[in-house]
Amino acid sequence: MPFFARLSPLAIIVLLLAGTGLGLTLLKATRDKVPLLPESTSAVWTVEARIGFRGEGGSTRVEFQLPIERSMERVIDENFVSRGYGLSILDVGTRPRDAIWTLRRTPAKDQALYYQAKVVAGPVSTNTEVPPFPPVPDYKEPLASAIGAVLKQAREQSADVFSFTEQTLRILADPDDENVKVIRNVTNRPSWEHLVAEILAGARIPTRIAYGVPLERPQTDQRLVPWLEVHNGNEWRGYDANTGVPGYPENFFIWRYDSPDLLRTRGVSGADVSFSTTETRIASTDLEKLTGSGYAPAPFGINLTRLPVGVQNIYHVVLMLPLGGLVVAFLRVVVGVPTFGTFMPILIALAFRETQLGWGVALFLTLVLVGLALRLMLAQLRLLLVPRLASILVVVVCLMLAITLLSFHLGIEQGLSIALFPMVILTMTIERMSIVWEERGLGQTITETMGTLVVAICGFFVMNEPHLSHLMFYFPELLLVVLAATLLLGAYSGYRLTELTRFAALARER
Amino acid sequence: MLGRWRTLRRRGVLGLNGRNREYVMRLNDRSKFPLVDDKLTTKRLALEVGLAVPDLYGAVRFQGELAHLDRLLQGRDSFVIKPAHGSGGDGVLVISERRNELFVKTDGRTLPLADIEYFVSTILSGVHSLGGIPDAAMIEYCVHPSPLFAAISYRGVPDIRLLIYRGIPAMAMVRLPTRASDGKANLHQGAVGVGISLAYGITGHGVLKDNVISEHPDYGSRLTGYRIPDWEELLTIGARCADLTGLGYCGVDLVLDEDKGPMMLEINARPGLAIQIANRCGLEQRLGQIDALGTLPEAVDDRVRLARTLDADQEPPAIRDSAGPAPEPPPAVEEVPAAASAAAD
Repeated sequence: MPFFARLSPLAIIVLLLAGTGLGLTLLKATRDKVPLLPESTSAVWTVEARIGFRGEGGSTRVEFQLPIERSMERVIDENFVSRGYGLSILDVGTRPRDAIWTLRRTPAKDQALYYQAKVVAGPVSTNTEVPPFPPVPDYKEPLASAIGAVLKQAREQSADVFSFTEQTLRILADPDDENVKVIRNVTNRPSWEHLVAEILAGARIPTRIAYGVPLERPQTDQRLVPWLEVHNGNEWRGYDANTGVPGYPENFFIWRYDSPDLLRTRGVSGADVSFSTTETRIASTDLEKLTGSGYAPAPFGINLTRLPVGVQNIYHVVLMLPLGGLVVAFLRVVVGVPTFGTFMPILIALAFRETQLGWGVALFLTLVLVGLALRLMLAQLRLLLVPRLASILVVVVCLMLAITLLSFHLGIEQGLSIALFPMVILTMTIERMSIVWEERGLGQTITETMGTLVVAICGFFVMNEPHLSHLMFYFPELLLVVLAATLLLGAYSGYRLTELTRFAALARER
Repeated sequence: MLGRWRTLRRRGVLGLNGRNREYVMRLNDRSKFPLVDDKLTTKRLALEVGLAVPDLYGAVRFQGELAHLDRLLQGRDSFVIKPAHGSGGDGVLVISERRNELFVKTDGRTLPLADIEYFVSTILSGVHSLGGIPDAAMIEYCVHPSPLFAAISYRGVPDIRLLIYRGIPAMAMVRLPTRASDGKANLHQGAVGVGISLAYGITGHGVLKDNVISEHPDYGSRLTGYRIPDWEELLTIGARCADLTGLGYCGVDLVLDEDKGPMMLEINARPGLAIQIANRCGLEQRLGQIDALGTLPEAVDDRVRLARTLDADQEPPAIRDSAGPAPEPPPAVEEVPAAASAAAD
């Protein structure tokens, strides 16, 4: 091929890179059965407890309560990160296990221990033991009469324990009810769920508070969420204490009952547990084998699922960036789309991931248009370049703040995510746009803005494609293939597609 | 689409990727770029070997020097201010006369001194330079264009772009300012590029925004058939300028001053590709002809003669000015091997 002339040394590198990348990927897919498609996988959530504390120089003992037995049935793998601490698991059988970390000489600085459990997505299963009826609590006035009135009203409108609970919760959800106002004034309970449990005890209904982690979307640094459970003599049922809707948060993983307190420590200060979650996918066939007991096999090659959860969540995004770079390179070198800045479109595309496309485009255009208008007004003041850039940055941040506040008041959630827009880059873009406008005219400015948007949208679609995202995270070896592809693009000396139009005059006549 | 691709390839049309990879990266050593990126350096180099350039009235490097700007401009009725690291004609201010305390731009608008100071300070902060690095502003002689192109240029100064490949002029065009280009001679700002036959120095068709035209967009006058005086000398200057920088693939911009004759304005290490459209000829075709020769002559005269011979197989364009002398026939050179004419088709 004429335009790949002088390719030979490059060809070898490209072939080596692509061969290695694809080879490792295939090996991983065939030998270790890591699925290539997200469809043939099941969701497995990694729940990570981070136990942070500060050593005091002496010996340390940290006891951490592990999830209850019933919940452990959903765990297919667990992992302790001890960092030099001695670890023992206390398993008495009747009560939840404890992980005990000990160290003779703990340095007087911040320490962190981790416990990771891989949890299969699924409904909550509860035990069947029948609890005793609770005694009626001794309420004080005016709380007693308020609760009495609520319970009386609920009793009239219900037939059994569950419908009674639902009615009670529905009444309590009405903020205009006079009795509810009195009840909601009580603030010395650990949570609303505890207060509700106390109220239900007034009707001698057995309740308990489950503390757990909802597995809906990846999160970092969360606390355990309290959840109300009610027993009707046969079974436990979860209730949303705020709305009265029966059920649990999605894939609720219960850690323990009645108390969120999981730590007993000696010789440390400031001990604290926080929870992070991330979704990973493993082959459905593996999952069947693993449920109940055993550990997931460690696939050969790079395995990111063993990393701390926060880091994993970052790499889900980071590993898509090279693909974005590839898209930019392709659109610029092969298609010839004009853009502002080289990687600006990719950063915009990243922001689109959070805002969703339509909103993202609208927010981007709003920011850029208003920013540009203000920049053209600033031109009258004749400021030096760097202070001018800094003042545009201030203006951009003000605009973002305004949009956020406005959308918050209007209840538009997408408007809040504007904070993810790359401000500094946006500022430079506005400055460049204004210069292009002054020097080359409006037409060129619009062309380049549209080009930037087109590239950003293409980047968004590529970086948001679930199959690609799955492949990049579970087969990071594919980065070598991406590198090979970009090297190949760098050696492309053929026409850009836009040049076919540009040089139309040379193709036509003569 | 594929059909057009093939046609363009067959006609040797050069694309941006091809230019960058096959010519700019291969023949233009990065270490040589500063010589042409900084117009002050280019000017100094040219003066050292005795090439004519517009007089430098002064350069402003620091914001603090702005206070002396009026002293620098004292007694100068017309001048040009441009960034030393500018590209593509951005950030160029042409003052054609002074009226009382005001400076008159070529389009007739007037500016007070404060506006000029702000303009210079914008240049210093690096707005027009690559990567926004702080820049210097040059104040230099404003060329009085030769009346030759008066009928086909809208104010401003037309310039002649020579594309020099491995020391040999490969293609040429004259760039004519238009109303849209605000008196500037840069094609992407809306100026017209008119192809010049290397052999005869006579203008052909023009290019405006990538379209072939044969009339000036503002005046409607025909672009073809203008004969450039001292064509051989212009080509010689172009070839010598390229030698100056050591760039194997560059564009040299020359102007014809009414009083001072041809002068070199600047050299470009990444010359644009619209010159192909203006000459209605693929660039790679010409460059291929030169490459096919193997060894190239070293003396400047021989190189210029070679350039004109390579172009000579085309019909001499009709001359518009019948009073002028007949086109000199391109000199026949024995040294040019037969391979040259073989590569021509």
